Amino acid sequence: MLKQALPQRAWTAIAIVAVIALALVPLLPGAVDSYAFSFLFFVFLYAIMAQGWNLVAGFGGQISLGNHAFFGLGAYTTAILWTGNYLWGSLYDSHPDIYYFDPVTMTLGGLVAAVAAIIIGLPLLSKLRGDYFALGTLGFGEIVKVMFINGGDFTGGAFGVVAPAGTFDTLLPHYLVGLGLMAGVGVAIRLLMRSRYGLALIAVRDDEMAASANGIDVLKVKVSAFAGSAFIAGVAGSLYTYYIFHVGPDSVFDLDWMLLPLMMTVVGGTGTLLGPILGALVMYAVFDLAKIVVPDYHPVISGLTIILAMLFLPKGLMRSFAGRARAA
Amino acid sequence: MANRLLEVNNLEVAYGDVGALWGVSIHVDPGTIVAIVGANGAGKTTLLKTVSGLLKPKRGEVFLNGVALAGKAPEAIAGMGIAHVPEGRGLFRQMTVLENLELGAFQPKVRKHFKQSLEKAYTLFPRLKERAGQKAGSLSGGEQQMLAIARATMSDPALLILDEPSLGLSPIVVQQMFSLIETLHKQGVTILLVEQNIHQALKVADYAFVLKTGELAMQGTGADLIADPEIQKAYMGVLEVQ
Amino acid sequence: MTLNIPPPDILLQLSLNGALGGAMYGVAAVGLSLVFGTMRLIFLAQGAMIILAAYFVRALFYGLGIDPFLSLLIVVPVGLGVGWLVYQGLFRRAAAEADRNISLLIAVGLMFLIQNLMTVVWGGNTAAVVTSYTASGIEILGVRTSFTRSMGFLIALAGTGLVVLFLRSTLVGKAVRAASEDMEAATLMGISPHRVNAIAFAIGIALAGAAGVAVATTFPFNPFAGFIFSLKALVALALGGIGNVAGALAGGIILGLIEAYVQYFISGGWTNAIAYGVFLAVLMFKPEGLFSRPYKKA
Repeated sequence: MLKQALPQRAWTAIAIVAVIALALVPLLPGAVDSYAFSFLFFVFLYAIMAQGWNLVAGFGGQISLGNHAFFGLGAYTTAILWTGNYLWGSLYDSHPDIYYFDPVTMTLGGLVAAVAAIIIGLPLLSKLRGDYFALGTLGFGEIVKVMFINGGDFTGGAFGVVAPAGTFDTLLPHYLVGLGLMAGVGVAIRLLMRSRYGLALIAVRDDEMAASANGIDVLKVKVSAFAGSAFIAGVAGSLYTYYIFHVGPDSVFDLDWMLLPLMMTVVGGTGTLLGPILGALVMYAVFDLAKIVVPDYHPVISGLTIILAMLFLPKGLMRSFAGRARAA
Repeated sequence: MANRLLEVNNLEVAYGDVGALWGVSIHVDPGTIVAIVGANGAGKTTLLKTVSGLLKPKRGEVFLNGVALAGKAPEAIAGMGIAHVPEGRGLFRQMTVLENLELGAFQPKVRKHFKQSLEKAYTLFPRLKERAGQKAGSLSGGEQQMLAIARATMSDPALLILDEPSLGLSPIVVQQMFSLIETLHKQGVTILLVEQNIHQALKVADYAFVLKTGELAMQGTGADLIADPEIQKAYMGVLEVQ
Repeated sequence: MTLNIPPPDILLQLSLNGALGGAMYGVAAVGLSLVFGTMRLIFLAQGAMIILAAYFVRALFYGLGIDPFLSLLIVVPVGLGVGWLVYQGLFRRAAAEADRNISLLIAVGLMFLIQNLMTVVWGGNTAAVVTSYTASGIEILGVRTSFTRSMGFLIALAGTGLVVLFLRSTLVGKAVRAASEDMEAATLMGISPHRVNAIAFAIGIALAGAAGVAVATTFPFNPFAGFIFSLKALVALALGGIGNVAGALAGGIILGLIEAYVQYFISGGWTNAIAYGVFLAVLMFKPEGLFSRPYKKA
């Protein structure tokens, strides 16, 4: 295959060039208002989510089916902090844009999700292995959703919360922040996977007993990967808030926020660095194209694509690259 | 060669990139007990699992009665007459003793003779008859091992593979186990035995192979190997060197 | 919160309705349990299959005038065939892969596909099967309850009973149980994984068909109602103990009771959260289920 011919260094170079090229896209005349621009924004968003899922499931081997809950937690945290002005006090009056892509708000969105993951992950991961963890996280996702629906004025009930600034003139900041986050998450995961922690995570995935015998604190490694995954999903949720403004239980806790990134990761290649990004690009393109070409049938096409991809491409687009990443 | 029941040629097996067996060749003649001995991690279990089809070799061939087993699924190989009692016994612990024995005779070929096979198994292992209705998981360690072997004999196998039958058993039960193996041998069952209890294994074996870190280190009759100073030194603690 | 203890007849009514409704989760869970047992696959499309069967029952009723309960004779055999085909066509290859995400994703893809095909064919609106006896009631233990719900309960009971009988008293059924406990050991007995997987799938989808009859006659449904059904079935599965078939039915009934009580004593809005909360608690504190048997795997 193509990838086998390319050493890892070449992939790094391609990734860097791609990020720079994407960063220059807005300079093209008319690019910012084009359809492709918003398309790319969603690719970034899904790629971030896919990276998050890949951290716990691909590298960590723990199948989380609750990442949509973390996405929603990040989105709600952002919208609630903003609407209630819980963060910036009087500064908000003089700087009405202060919550817009505010790093503190976005980080808090990720942190709330990460803390939730630790709370739920400690009991789930100490008792449950594999499939039970997957089931537990799926149940967790539904509980969080119902809690937000029943959260009264604080969460806006079934309607949700609408962030104060109701619209935007340009997608440029969304695009750039999305691209930056995607690249940042990619670099962070790459550094992480080359660290002692990354080795421990792989060791736990491949053989828990052997890892434990070698002095690795298995629970700590698993819970922290789960929390890291949740953090990434929470930040992605926060980013989405700046796009959608209206954060409601049915939109941000939609199961698609878990299923699609999961699918993109598997299509791209689980446990690889670039697989989730490649998968997000390819799969989102397929879905979007189906939406345009066969609008009535596009969800049918989505379903078919997943099945076909799994039947004929079960190892993902980046698989041979993974062999290298694992050996490194 | 023509008489060989099992013939393994130049077997190479790897887990991912890690090699586990390097060009190992063994053979088993009909009606004999053959032992494979060696230290922990020498590749003994890997060899057995490859013979019964649970692992796919990278290179090399396995023949049963001259028929190549390459590419055959484990259930097909079981159907051809290999009964493998895996390490840890592989009992269905939630099912009764009788149900375990019934599953031992699952293959259509042997299902017809279930009554006779059961009679035979109960004669050999009277304890199992008493416990027929009990869950396999409720038996003692020794009884569980008996059940695992009895279950394997239900298919009247051409080759019975035993992986560490003495593991975790008390010395008295180990004695019973080995006398049982000799009884089966006298009934004409061909046995391929992996053991860490090297002294016992070599005593019952007609022929034995010594594996060392994935390679064949030595072979010979059980009696020859038992007398071999090298073997005594390395495996039987006659002299504690190192 | 003040808890008003209701009069006994209302309590009985609640319990009866809860138990009858819960049996439907139970029969869905029995199918999940079988498939999970042999393939270790969370078959998320089970709910979509149930709704598909419900639409099929509806089409048979309005198109050919076949009584919904009588259509069991068609739906169940069709389900067996569909299940077998679904396994051979979609899951056979993935079952051989060590990476179980692949099977899970195929199930997800199938769920998308069925949901949306149903939307394309029958539209996204709520559908129902209304017969002459839909509104009629019968008296059980001195309490009036819906006739169709009671029939659904009987279907669940009979379906589970047949499956248990199959698993306990036939050699092939025993092979399925053996494969669920230890697939590797089962193959060493000469049991083909593909065969037991296909059997589990066939029975699982046949049960989805039976559940479809119960759903079609009891509730209004729409193409997307299936997912929540899958989740509820998973809860029932966990309550009953994964791999315990009769326990799955009991788990469904318990879930139905929990839902009925929560709805009455707290509020309808919390039903799902509490049901999933119980689910999580069971997974955490009693992962072997409420009816665990001794001699679990060491």
